[in-house]
Amino acid sequence: MNDWQMKSPLDWEKYVNKMVKVAAVEKHEYEGWVLTVDPVSASVVLATFLENEKVSISVVLGHAVQEVEILKEGDDEMKQRLSCIFVPEESKVYSPEELEKRKNDLKTWLEANHIPVTEQGESGRTLCVVGVLTIDPPYGPEECSSSNEIILSRVQGLIQGYLERHQ
Amino acid sequence: AAMPVPVPVGVLRLPRGPEGSSRGFSPTSPRFQALLGGPAAAQGVRAALRERYLRGLAAARGRSTRFCLRAGVCVEAVFGAADVAAVAFQVDALRTPLGVQAAALLRCTDVLAYSFLL
Repeated sequence: MNDWQMKSPLDWEKYVNKMVKVAAVEKHEYEGWVLTVDPVSASVVLATFLENEKVSISVVLGHAVQEVEILKEGDDEMKQRLSCIFVPEESKVYSPEELEKRKNDLKTWLEANHIPVTEQGESGRTLCVVGVLTIDPPYGPEECSSSNEIILSRVQGLIQGYLERHQ
Repeated sequence: AAMPVPVPVGVLRLPRGPEGSSRGFSPTSPRFQALLGGPAAAQGVRAALRERYLRGLAAARGRSTRFCLRAGVCVEAVFGAADVAAVAFQVDALRTPLGVQAAALLRCTDVLAYSFLL
């Protein structure tokens, strides 16, 4: 066990949300924002923000760490950004009012684009497009059903674009 | 009178610890020391750090990952899982010079670092 692995959690915590340079064995060097240090293996988890909005995660195993140098402190914005990286996408739950609004907004938009749409099912919760495609709550591309692949694909694309512009 | 034949007692074998030779936590390991209960503040921090790390492992699952091994060797594989004591990584589709291994274990002691894109 090396010096880094012997540190306490309170020591490791001091490196979280900091930009660091990790010197590892065999002359490897890693730079990035510290997301966490695993207390079991003392592995350092680093995040690097790339140009294309992607994040590169590098984990340096504790047994390979020789030295960790703090380069910069992260500001509140960075801390917030880092804390969100591993959070799983929350499955959004809509209230009945929200669902009704989503349905009506989508129906209005489809009609404005001259696409025949009706409501069917219990309390009109399902939208029926061109008589061959149905859209269930919460009215996203995944909720479209149709036996006609071409229409399905077209409508899914339309709804995708609509949601991207209107949300 | 003959003695009754003693009924054999079932032997309970504890599972081997991750080190292979022991029967559970190594009493000198930091994990075991922490289990005994260090200062409360350190425990809270330890838990928070570990939670973030576990979420990181969950995020890595299924992603193409580059593993840097010793002597400058790098291999690519799809991240599968890690065990609790950081002994090995399980990966799928490990690309080696000899071909692609459908599933493999990489020993943590052999891995210096690994990286993946989110």
